[in-house]
Amino acid sequence: MRLSDSKYGVLLSTPGLVIIIALIIFPVVTLFVTSFLRYTSFHPLSFTGLKNYIYIFNDRIFWMALRKTVVYTVGVTILTFAGGMALALALSKIKRGAAVFRSLAMFSWAVPLVISGFIWKWIFNPNVGVFSDLLMKIGLISAPIPIFSDSNLAMLGCIVADTWVRIPFMCIFILAGIESISEEVYDAAKIDGADAFSTFSHITLPLIRGMALTGLLITSMFTFRTIDVIFSMTEGGPARGTYVLGFYIVDQLWRRVNYGTAAAAGVIMFLLIAVFAGIYVYNIFKEE
Amino acid sequence: MTPRKAISKILSKPSTNYILLVLMLTIMLSPIIFTAMTSFKPREETFRWPPTYFPETFTLEAYREVIFDSPMPRHLLNSLIVSGGTTIIVMVGSIFTAWGISRYRFKGSAIFLFIFIATRIMPPIALLVPFYIIMSYLGLINTYASLIILNTFLCYPLAVWMIKSFFDSFPGELVDSAIVDGCTRTGAFLRVVVPVSAVGISAVAIITFLWTWNEFLFAMIFSNTRAVQPATVGAHYFVGDELVQWDSITATAMFTALPGLIFFSIAQKAIVKGLTAGAVKG
Repeated sequence: MRLSDSKYGVLLSTPGLVIIIALIIFPVVTLFVTSFLRYTSFHPLSFTGLKNYIYIFNDRIFWMALRKTVVYTVGVTILTFAGGMALALALSKIKRGAAVFRSLAMFSWAVPLVISGFIWKWIFNPNVGVFSDLLMKIGLISAPIPIFSDSNLAMLGCIVADTWVRIPFMCIFILAGIESISEEVYDAAKIDGADAFSTFSHITLPLIRGMALTGLLITSMFTFRTIDVIFSMTEGGPARGTYVLGFYIVDQLWRRVNYGTAAAAGVIMFLLIAVFAGIYVYNIFKEE
Repeated sequence: MTPRKAISKILSKPSTNYILLVLMLTIMLSPIIFTAMTSFKPREETFRWPPTYFPETFTLEAYREVIFDSPMPRHLLNSLIVSGGTTIIVMVGSIFTAWGISRYRFKGSAIFLFIFIATRIMPPIALLVPFYIIMSYLGLINTYASLIILNTFLCYPLAVWMIKSFFDSFPGELVDSAIVDGCTRTGAFLRVVVPVSAVGISAVAIITFLWTWNEFLFAMIFSNTRAVQPATVGAHYFVGDELVQWDSITATAMFTALPGLIFFSIAQKAIVKGLTAGAVKG
């Protein structure tokens, strides 16, 4: 017996169906259900309504973690965009050696975020790292900066380490956007006497808008939920200076062993990211 | 000449772009170079102030220690098992699904794709609780199986998206003529479509491998003994409470970053193509 084409398609997609049900739908449902349960190691399991959410919204540390997360996400996204844009613009304008330069520019993407944290932890270390030494050699500072004893500076350090890994991905996006612009548009602009600045703001920027927006949203979505870099650099310190939302969830699970509040915090994070993502998905479907 | 005109003129010169690129690439690459250089220093030299930029005494002692006197080889092997297992499962599962969605559209295939994009939105860290409950229930905490399953969750949807975008541009007549020549549909897919799309498929396999290798969160939560922990977690071995052994940690960093750097050197073009395909289309 021969299956019809559409049934054959369903058959081929079976692995996808299994994964959707077992690894996506089931866990997501479990997450939402758990967030309404009193689920700790001390009490019997019971329904508590919104108590977990109320606990979180009254928790000073949650609000602080949320603030830190926003600072972290905005910082990384802006720096990544600026770096990716500068790199993509320069890469798009060269011809000789373009392949080599591109390869070199992408390398940091391959470095695990945790390892990036270690690398920058060493670079910024005031006793052995090169960052303070370089600034002292230039004469900008007179003594090493103890970055990890100040919460704002530590945050900045983590932002740099995260940005360093994310720039190549952003650059790939913007570069793909720039390359889809035809030469003729630039030639016409040149004849009209446009300088580098007006070419950028009136041609390049509007034409890569879609690509750039996608890159921005993916970067911010991913940064919002990541703790890898911070974990290996500061573990959330000093004095919770780099304590982002991810740490809050992990601590609910590990330190408080409270599955209910951990799930509720997960739901809150999911909903916050869904706002970003809504824009992202909307843009994809609009383009198609 | 106004300053704007002057700057604009400088920016339009080709040599300016090269100078700016070299400057930016120096900043981008120097962390890797610093790390490599530190890993070749004797321990005593890593604690010196001011720091040396190139090792005064070149030694492979840190690498010797990491390979022979530390649990790192075990962690690297764990990473290899988890990443290899995940890559095989994800690839086998995703090429069929992608082909089914791309060529044999069926009722509900659009929902499939929608769910796959939607998973990118779901932060893995938010799902720690359900996954922890499920894995404890199945008794899979601290096994390779849990890490492979969770990494499959992370990589599978995007792998389908990327491969689907390669299949979408595959000339359908080739498949039709193979079927006319007596191939079954599955035969045509395995003998015609897969070999022709091999470059794209291997790019997705590399991306899957690297994502799994670099993954940290699930690895940290779901593995708690050295027998199972992958390298991203095991790398914390050299970070003491008081003292960080910088020579060993940088050597470890080099080992852990190695697969990425190697794959990237040989298949950078394909990887970039895969990433753009996956992201732009979804």
